[in-house]
Amino acid sequence: MAAKPGAATPTYSPKLVGRTRLPILKDSDLDWSRPDGRGFHQCRPALLQTGAVSSASGSAYAEFGNTKVIVSVFGPRESKKAMVFSDVGRLNCNVSYTTFASPTIGQGTDHKEYSSMLHKALEGVIMMETFPKTTVDVFALVLESGGSDLSVVISCASLALADAGIMMYDLITAVSVSCIGKSLMIDPVTEEEGCEDGSFMMTCMPSRYEITQLTLTGEWTTPNINEAMQLCLDACSKLGEIMRDCLKQAASASEE
Amino acid sequence: MGLSLGEQHFIKGGIAQDLRTDGRKRLTYRPIYVETGVIPQANGSARVRIGGTDVIASVKAEIGRPSSLQPDKGKVAVFIDCSPTAEPTFGGRGGEELSSELALALQRCLLGGKSGAGAGINLSSLLIKEGKVCWDLYIDGLVISSDGNLLDALGAAIKAALTNTAIPKVNVSAEVADDEQPEIDISDEEYLQFDTSSVPVIVTLTKVGTHYIVDATAEEESQMSSAVSISVNRTGHICGLTKRGGSGLDPSVILDMISVAKHVTETLMSKLDSEISAAEACEDES
Repeated sequence: MAAKPGAATPTYSPKLVGRTRLPILKDSDLDWSRPDGRGFHQCRPALLQTGAVSSASGSAYAEFGNTKVIVSVFGPRESKKAMVFSDVGRLNCNVSYTTFASPTIGQGTDHKEYSSMLHKALEGVIMMETFPKTTVDVFALVLESGGSDLSVVISCASLALADAGIMMYDLITAVSVSCIGKSLMIDPVTEEEGCEDGSFMMTCMPSRYEITQLTLTGEWTTPNINEAMQLCLDACSKLGEIMRDCLKQAASASEE
Repeated sequence: MGLSLGEQHFIKGGIAQDLRTDGRKRLTYRPIYVETGVIPQANGSARVRIGGTDVIASVKAEIGRPSSLQPDKGKVAVFIDCSPTAEPTFGGRGGEELSSELALALQRCLLGGKSGAGAGINLSSLLIKEGKVCWDLYIDGLVISSDGNLLDALGAAIKAALTNTAIPKVNVSAEVADDEQPEIDISDEEYLQFDTSSVPVIVTLTKVGTHYIVDATAEEESQMSSAVSISVNRTGHICGLTKRGGSGLDPSVILDMISVAKHVTETLMSKLDSEISAAEACEDES
């Protein structure tokens, strides 16, 4: 997908105020340098576009380094007749991987987990009361899996929902942090995720400064969690601004 | 859960005043009963009752092949089944969503990071021959009766079942060529007890209004705004954290919950350990 002419790919890097960290080595003599040459607290440049799928109510395409995701939103549509009447709307999420998304054929097991995690992330932020008796379908397709897949899917899904005009309390953004040895790296790529000692994924509403979803694996000490949380909150608010700019550009482009 | 407005106010108000409907304080657990060895055919099993919540966990070990991505580790799979005896809505496909959510949270707490750091179960100890033969552990949880706090009960049951697990010793018979399966001899006599010193306990903190409670009953869970399940191991490090529920939480609240969970874990861990060893001793006698 070609970038729009004149739109530079924005980079968002959270800054730890007043502290410079030397990367701490995992096995004492090895220096972990990130495969794409980023700093430990630097996120990948984000390319976000709305309106990628013309037949959907709303859609968005996101490219974060090598992770490419397309999300389309259909709805609100009439719920199937078999379903019980409900005076709040329903949300149906599906995350699938293309067969060529990862170097090894067939990702298989992640789909159901990611679908339910996307559902949990979105259900707290969509105002379901505004579309009773109907269903909103969110379909996410990971075209290439380059690391931090679920975070990219969640951010892209909230952009697609905004493009579809579904009412939400706020945009949600998701960022993940990987812990390798004693160092924390934000926005890990697949190689880093494969050998991480712990992972931390956070979804938050930047304007309300609230965390809607948080999952953590591996062994963490409280100071590490504190630091990871600050990194993620900072990155999430910057990503939120980038998403808003993208929506404003799309809106002004359609007015012309 | 059908609760009238008056009952809802009663529950919320009680929690705000540190006096819950059953008389407990906010950070007190209900009495926990543990029985081990309830399923003789399984390698390890346990039944845990916390108040009205009743769960059974069983561990079965089978010989399998390590995955090509991690040839030096065994495999662990966690499945949870919410039986319709607990709730009629669990029948058919109704309990599937809850089961997969619980299984995912438990897997996250037990298996640690991708490199194996912080794992409750040491996957390398399940290896028999690198790249060829390993133990596959199937951990199954069954929810018989549900009165809130399923995740904590399942975590405790899995911990007890793993303590009860005896894996037979395996002798690898002959040295064979690289592409053939080696002959293995599974001993009937000698067993290895599983090392469970690093299996964490899970504490779920439920936020009702502005306060957190531990070990919520089903009524209290229906009034929650959100819940955070934190798994802490013996060294006091956090091994897994899952936030459940839709509403957002301020970051300072989450950090506060983590410190409360650590504090609660100390008492819970020692209580569980004593209950499990009492149950094992009971089983040895009978």
